[in-house]
Amino acid sequence: MIGVSALGATGRGFAGVLGAVGRFVGFAAQALAWMVRPPFHAREFGAQVLLIGWFSMPVVGMTALFTGAALALQIYAGSARFSAEFAVPSITAIGMVRELGPVLGGLMVAARVASSIAAEIGTMKVSEQIDALRTLAVEPMQYLTVPRLLAATLAMPVLVAAGDSIGILGGYAVGVTRLGFDGPTYLRNTLDFLEFWDVGSGLVKGAVFGFLVALSGCYFGMTSGRGAQGVGEATKSAVVLASVLILAANYLLTEAFFSA
Amino acid sequence: MIHADDLHKAFGAKRVLRGVSFAVPKGQSLVVIGGSGSGKSVLLRCLLGLERADRGHVRIAGLDDPAPQVLATHVGMLFQGGALFDSLPVWQNIAFRLMRGTGRMGRAAARDLAVEKLARVGLGPEVADLYPAELSGGMQKRVGLARAIAGDPPILFFDEPTAGLDPIMAAVINALIRGVVTEMGATAVTITHDMRTLSDVADRVAMLHEGRFCWQGSASEALSTDDPVMRQFTQGRTEGPIPTLR
Repeated sequence: MIGVSALGATGRGFAGVLGAVGRFVGFAAQALAWMVRPPFHAREFGAQVLLIGWFSMPVVGMTALFTGAALALQIYAGSARFSAEFAVPSITAIGMVRELGPVLGGLMVAARVASSIAAEIGTMKVSEQIDALRTLAVEPMQYLTVPRLLAATLAMPVLVAAGDSIGILGGYAVGVTRLGFDGPTYLRNTLDFLEFWDVGSGLVKGAVFGFLVALSGCYFGMTSGRGAQGVGEATKSAVVLASVLILAANYLLTEAFFSA
Repeated sequence: MIHADDLHKAFGAKRVLRGVSFAVPKGQSLVVIGGSGSGKSVLLRCLLGLERADRGHVRIAGLDDPAPQVLATHVGMLFQGGALFDSLPVWQNIAFRLMRGTGRMGRAAARDLAVEKLARVGLGPEVADLYPAELSGGMQKRVGLARAIAGDPPILFFDEPTAGLDPIMAAVINALIRGVVTEMGATAVTITHDMRTLSDVADRVAMLHEGRFCWQGSASEALSTDDPVMRQFTQGRTEGPIPTLR
């Protein structure tokens, strides 16, 4: 009897998860469909590029700077065991541009942007602003979701590129001031070993992560429950889902780009 | 102008509308009253196409069961909390629809029109560049009203227009509503539980109770009828057919 009820609960839980995934994927499909339908809200898009891209630069830059510096120290400590200290610049750079730049940048943007999008749209829903949009002949998916998705998808690779550069700079600063590297040699080792696809793969990851961050924020905002608690729950869920999706997508993209 | 025929709407097991039918001829102002949770807002959302009725039929301005986007050129709506867009200044809120879509206005013309509509609701041009968060509740209602009338729509909807306002400001808003409805020759539906709105705005009154219109009549009849539901509601008595626990 207990086994049957546990089985039932598991089945209901599984069905609930499947339903939630289905709703999220349906929302994504709807958003993509609205992307190719006019009109395009250029002013809203510009505002979102500024909010999502430009204003995220400080937090992404700080994260990259300290991560690059710490990475150089760790790689130095590890490579010293094999007398391979010369590899510090190249491995720091590759680690930053392939993995840590896009992933940590994505997670920081998820914390900052997914939460802000979910809270803003959720509040608009609670205060009937989304209903007002519809009564003013504006489709909320087109006016709210599409500009945010496009802005995040396009701004995130730029943020990743900036983060990569700052991260490498952090490694350089530690390498030169703490680990005894010669400045020009450090830079030459960095540039000589970096390949185009090392950087390109990170930028593609950035675009995918940007899309996922905005999608999570918009989805939970649009489906937010009533009241302060509903908006708070939507905000939390948006950040959690965006973070998990970034980590999962990172693994899948790494498999796709670099598996032998 | 507005026809609703046998509207039914349920949320789970809760049947909110159980067969609402009415017609509002061109130029008439209907006020729908009813207790909290009686389904007034749901009725309005069904009329606007924001909720799809489970059963029944809506016809507005010759359109059958129209989507809200289709209705936009025919209808202006004042939401209970104003529903002004926080990220836009007042003038862009008012001219929002007119600056978008086919035949959209330029920014200068849209701003001029917004200032003109602000004047119509008793606000000066200095308000145009403020943001909604900088306005009092009464001013937000006025701006919401200016937005509702921006495109000179033939039909106006008002959702609890005096909710949260002091009696003086409520009287001002009621007078503005009566003024614009009369001046524009608009057909209007107002939902409220404010008796002052009823007497100031209504040509006709309908009482929503247990998911149906249980009484319809003129504004003066509404205040003098012997109908027990109406008497309890208009006199604000706790004893009567309307339950106080809802």
